[in-house]
Amino acid sequence: MGGMQGLGEIGYERDGPVFHAPWEGRVHALVTVLARYGRWRALRPEIELIPAERYLPMSYYERWLAALTALIVKSGLATREEIADARSRPGSERFEPAITAATALAAALQPPRTELATHVVEPRYRVGQRVRGANLNVPTHTRMPRYTRCRVGTVERDRGVFALPDRDVYFQDPKPQHVYLVRFTARELWGESASARDSLYIDLWEDYLEPA
Amino acid sequence: MDKSALDHDHQDVPSDAALRVKALESLLVEKGLVDPAALDALVDTYEHAVGPRNGARVVARAWVDADYKRRLLADGTVAIAELGFSGQQGEKLTVVENTASIHNVIVCTLCSCYPWPLLGLPPVWYKSSAYRSRTVADPRGVLRELGLEIGEDVEVRVWDSTAASRYFVLPQRPPRTDALGEPELAALVTRDAMIGVARVTVP
Repeated sequence: MGGMQGLGEIGYERDGPVFHAPWEGRVHALVTVLARYGRWRALRPEIELIPAERYLPMSYYERWLAALTALIVKSGLATREEIADARSRPGSERFEPAITAATALAAALQPPRTELATHVVEPRYRVGQRVRGANLNVPTHTRMPRYTRCRVGTVERDRGVFALPDRDVYFQDPKPQHVYLVRFTARELWGESASARDSLYIDLWEDYLEPA
Repeated sequence: MDKSALDHDHQDVPSDAALRVKALESLLVEKGLVDPAALDALVDTYEHAVGPRNGARVVARAWVDADYKRRLLADGTVAIAELGFSGQQGEKLTVVENTASIHNVIVCTLCSCYPWPLLGLPPVWYKSSAYRSRTVADPRGVLRELGLEIGEDVEVRVWDSTAASRYFVLPQRPPRTDALGEPELAALVTRDAMIGVARVTVP
């Protein structure tokens, strides 16, 4: 939603609790624990299936709860009927409590390895090169914000090789490729009303870029 | 839409979300999918162990130790591990330094990417549609609204952390703090200064 207007107040608060109600903490923890079963790659694509008119007024953890519930059903961990009355059905799949407190904490406190360091892929772009955001209009999950489409920036850094989230989150061929830190001037993105001094930095996958 | 779920004040009646989460948790426990003790441990960790005090320690160390600062700016993930910090959303940590001529501010337009190991979970306003949509296009206006005026002679750099990297701002050390030791310096550093929406000041 970068660059959109009319999306209300920031609602800034200097201090605030980590969770504004106990259920928010439980949802956060459930997402962490259930992810360990490996039946989905990420919560985010499911959140993106919430229609915009419902998504916007929902709170952050309401979105998490809606997406988590949908993933539990889709992946077969529980049925909608079981969730509706909070009772498991006879003959439904039983699990061993695979995720203990210790393994849950270990998972949370160890950095996952997102970089595909063992993949050798030739970079298409080099530091200092001018690149243009591709005119991609992806209806499913992507990490390319629309404000970078067709805008020209400069490669500042090569981040290494990563899976392409557009495919990887759906268990498709991850198409390993370089990710680049790209700098856009504020004026290139937002026009003459922006300060001539300012700029925006963002990491973009090679598939999101074309030579400028 | 259940209004009470958005109500951040004390509630007499459990919200619809609270009831749904309770029911979901009990079902998952019954099926053997979830150990309630694991949930307790995770909630406790994010409420008490992981939070902006971690980031403040990193900032204070960088202010007093030039070699550490060099390592921090070169590879954030490795340098924070020296102080015992790592974890989800801390991979590929990039530390950006505020100076007299450059001001950095962090946002995630996608959703809520944020350096958890150093700052804990992001505040509600960081995840708001307004902060996500406006910070990229009008950073100076957003900062002004949050009480931070950036001079015309200062370059503003916005970091949109939607990909594999997480960003963390190393704020400027306030003047006249030469006599302070590392713990006293860390006590001055706020979460908002490490997001880039505030300066570190001496009270």
